[in-house]
Amino acid sequence: MTATIRPDLEEKLRGSVVYGTDLEAAGMLWGTLVLAPVAHGRIVSVDLSAARSRPGVVAIGAADVRSLVGGATGDPERPPFPPETVVYRSQPLAAVAAPTLEEARDAARAVHIVVDPAPVISDIESVFPEWPGSDAGESPGIAAHVRGRRGDVDRALATAATVVRETYRTSGVQQVPLEPHACLADVSPGRWQVRTTTQSPFGVREDIASILGVPEASVVVDGTWVGGGFGGKGSSLLEPYALLLARAAGRPVRLALSFREEFLLARSTLPSVIRFETGVTDGRIVGRRVRLLLDVGASLPGRDFATGYSIGFLLGPYATPTFEVEGYAVRTHKPPFGPHRAPFAPQCAFAVESHLDEVARAVGLDPVAFRAAHLWSTGDSTPFGQMVGAFGLPAALEAAQRRARAWRAALPPGHGVGIGLGFWSTGTGAGGEARLQLRPRELVIVQGEREIGSGSVVVGLAAVAARRTGLPRDRLRVEYRPTSRAPFDSGVYGSRTTAALGRAVDEALTGLFAELSRRLDGAAPVRLVVADDELHVEAGGSRRPVRDVLTDGERAGEGLAAEGRHYGRGGAIDETLVEKGTFYAYHDFTGAAHVAQVEVDRATGAIRVVRYAAFHDVGTVLDRPTATAQIEGGVVMGLGTALTEESIWSNDGRLTNPGLLDYRIPTLAEVPPIEVEFVEGFEGAGPFGAKGLGEPPIIPVPATIAAAVREACGAHLTELPLSPERVARALKLV
Amino acid sequence: MNPRPLSVRVNGQALRVESVPDSERLLDTIRWRLGLRGTKEGCRTGGCGACTVLVDGRCTLSCLTLARDVEGSEVVTIEGAADDPVGRTVQAAFRDAGALQCGYCTPGFVMALTGLLKERGGSTSVGQLLDDLGGNLCRCTGYVAIVRAVEIARGRMP
Repeated sequence: MTATIRPDLEEKLRGSVVYGTDLEAAGMLWGTLVLAPVAHGRIVSVDLSAARSRPGVVAIGAADVRSLVGGATGDPERPPFPPETVVYRSQPLAAVAAPTLEEARDAARAVHIVVDPAPVISDIESVFPEWPGSDAGESPGIAAHVRGRRGDVDRALATAATVVRETYRTSGVQQVPLEPHACLADVSPGRWQVRTTTQSPFGVREDIASILGVPEASVVVDGTWVGGGFGGKGSSLLEPYALLLARAAGRPVRLALSFREEFLLARSTLPSVIRFETGVTDGRIVGRRVRLLLDVGASLPGRDFATGYSIGFLLGPYATPTFEVEGYAVRTHKPPFGPHRAPFAPQCAFAVESHLDEVARAVGLDPVAFRAAHLWSTGDSTPFGQMVGAFGLPAALEAAQRRARAWRAALPPGHGVGIGLGFWSTGTGAGGEARLQLRPRELVIVQGEREIGSGSVVVGLAAVAARRTGLPRDRLRVEYRPTSRAPFDSGVYGSRTTAALGRAVDEALTGLFAELSRRLDGAAPVRLVVADDELHVEAGGSRRPVRDVLTDGERAGEGLAAEGRHYGRGGAIDETLVEKGTFYAYHDFTGAAHVAQVEVDRATGAIRVVRYAAFHDVGTVLDRPTATAQIEGGVVMGLGTALTEESIWSNDGRLTNPGLLDYRIPTLAEVPPIEVEFVEGFEGAGPFGAKGLGEPPIIPVPATIAAAVREACGAHLTELPLSPERVARALKLV
Repeated sequence: MNPRPLSVRVNGQALRVESVPDSERLLDTIRWRLGLRGTKEGCRTGGCGACTVLVDGRCTLSCLTLARDVEGSEVVTIEGAADDPVGRTVQAAFRDAGALQCGYCTPGFVMALTGLLKERGGSTSVGQLLDDLGGNLCRCTGYVAIVRAVEIARGRMP
C-alpha cells in the first residue's frame, strides 16, 4: 500500500517538531511535584520551610493557592493540593521549582510531610465481597450507581431451559505514551499562559479556569505536538501546578513528569468485576442479568463518566429481549479512573464475547454462529430501544468467518483460531468549529487542535476538504492556533476529530463556495482547481484566479474567510428503561470483527499470536493508508491489554510496577502480521458518511485472543490479562 | 565530580562543552547544553530506545551513557542523520513506509536502524534487524509500518 505523505512526516523524521518535553524558555525554572507518601490519611503538616531556605527555590502548597490566584475561589471539589485528606498515593501535596531539575528534586525531598495514615481501600472486592446491598448506592464509597431493565428478568431466568452464570475480572491498564506529560507556564498580570502537550487545548483551558477560579478569558493554552495521547492527555494534569509555580516565581516554569511519575499519576482504566447470568431456550437468549463493579479510584461522586457508558457495552451488540444491567462505580485509594482509548470497552468486549462463547458451548451450539444469530443489523433496536443506524458489523463478521475458515484449513497442532466482535460509537464532544482561509495558492484550515499522531487533524481534516473541493492535498494546509486565536473545539478524543470537526470543515466549505458563487454573480456550481501554481475558481464555464476574486485586504492578509460549526448529538434511548443513573445513547454505530491465530505453549502457558486480521466498518474511508495505520496500531495496543499489561497495586495502595520493565507494552518481537480490511457502504454521521476509527480497533482484541486460546488448548480464561500463569493454571500445569 | 569541559564531536562538529558534571547523562548534554532536542527523552532507564544516538558509529542509549564517557568520540544525533548516506536511506525508508504517527519514537528508531545497518552493511537479515530493534518501543503504529520500513531500508543497502 502506498503511504500517504503526511504533512508532518518530514519534520518528524528530522526530529525537528517540538513536543511538550522539549519546551524551554529563557530564565525558566524547573518544577517538580511532591507526591503523597501514603494512599489515605489526614494531612497533619506539609512543611515547605527547609525547601524554601535553599537558594533559588520556590515551593508552594495548599495554603498558598488562594493568594497566588488573587483571592479567587476554584472548584472546591478539586483543589490543586488537598487541604485535609490524602486520597491516593502520589497525589500532589506541594510543588517546587528551582534553577535546575536536580535542585528542584533535592528541594522536593526536603519538604517534610506528616500524614496520619488511615485504612486503605485498594481492592474493590474487599469492599464488596458480595453484590452490594440495595442501599449501597448512597454510600460515600460509591461514585455512581446505574441500573436499567427491560421486562421481568427473574422470571426469564427462572423459566429458561439453561442458565449460565460466570464472573470475569479485568486489570488496570495505562496509556503509556512515550512522551510523558509536560508543560511550560508563563504568567503575567491577568494572563495565565501555558504551552502543553494535550489532546484538548480548550478542555485544559476550561479545567484551569475552574481549578484556579480565574476567568477563562485570562487563560491561554498553546498546544505542542503530542507524543502520544491515547486518552491520557484529554484534560489538565500538570498545568495548574506549573501556572501557580510560575506565578509564585515570577518566571516561566517548566513542569514535566518522569516516566515513573507518568505511571504513578496516570488517570486510566482500573480493575473490574463483571458478573453474568444468561438464560437460553431453544438457542435464543431469553434473559440476561449483568452486574459490574468498576474501580474508579479517587473519582468524585457524580463525576464518574464510565459506568453508564460501559454498561451498554456489557450487553454487546446482541438482541436481548429481557435484561437487567446494574453497575457500581466503586471508589478506592488510587488515582481517578480516566479515559484510555475506548475507555473500558475492550474489557467489556472480552467479558461479553467470552461469556456468550461459554453460553453457546453450554447448549451445544457453535459460539460464533450463536453470536451471529443475535447480532444487531441496521434498523434493529438496541436493548435500550435506540434504532441501530447503518451497521457493518454483520458484514465484518461474515468476512472474519471466511478468513477463520481459511486459516483453520491448515492449522498446525497446538494452534487455535478465534473471532471477537466489538462495537463503538463516534464521539461528539461538546462540538467544534473550523475557520477556512482561501488564499491565492492554498486553502488553509485554521483550528485549535494539535495532531496527536493518529492523523485525525493533519490528514483527516485535509482529506475532508480535498474530497469536497477536489483540490490536491498539497494545496490544503491545516494551521494550528492557540486557544486565544483559534475557533473552539472540544478535543481530539472519542474518535471524533475527523468525523465531528470534519463536519465543521465541511460546513465552512459550503459557506466558502456560496460566497465565491456570490462574487461570481451567482454562477454555480463552483469548483476550485490548480493552474499555473495558483488556485483558480471555476463556475459557469469560466475560470478566474482566486487572487482576482479576493479583496485587496484579503489578498494582503489571511485570504477569504469562512466559518463552520458542528455540534452533533447522539440518538435517544428509551428512558423508561432507566431506573437509576445515566445511560448514554450512541451517535452512530461502528464495529469490527477480528480474527487471530495463536499458538499456546503447553509447557509454559505462553501465548504467541501467529497472525491477525481486522475487518472494520468505519463508514466511508476518507484516507485509506492513515485509516489502516490507525487500525494496525489499535490492534497492537489491544494485544498489550490482552496479553501483558496490568497495573498491580499493593494492599496499601502503592502501584508496584511503575516502569516499562514491569509493565510490559508490546514490542517488535511480539507483533504478528496484521491484515486490515474495510467493510464499506454503512454510512455514519461524519462527513461523506465517515465514522470515527481511533478507538474501535482496540476493542475486540482481548476477546479475539481469548477465543483463539480456547480453541488452541481448551483453556477458558475469565481474567485479563491472559498471562502465561493464568493459562497454565487453567490447563492445570501448576 | 567537579564540572569540567568536555571535548566531543557532534554531527561532524568539534565541540568543547563547558562545565559538564561527571554525573551528567549524554542525553541531557545533547538536549539541554547543545539544544539538540530531536533526541527524545522517554523513560531514562534504557527501556524505550527513544534517546538512541550513535557514538563512534554504534547505537547507544544516551540516557544510560555518561557524557564523560564520550570524551573524544564522534556523536551523531537525528539532526545529523541526513549527513550520512545510510541515515538518508533509513529516513527515506520510514518516509516511504509511512512508518510514524506521533513521531516521538522516530528519532530513536532512525538512529538505531542507521547504526545497525552501518555496523553490518548488507550482511544482516531483516529478521536479525527486527530482533535487535526490540528495545525501541512505539505505542502508535503497532510496528507494522516500521517493519515495512526496515524491509525497505535493508533492501536498499548495497
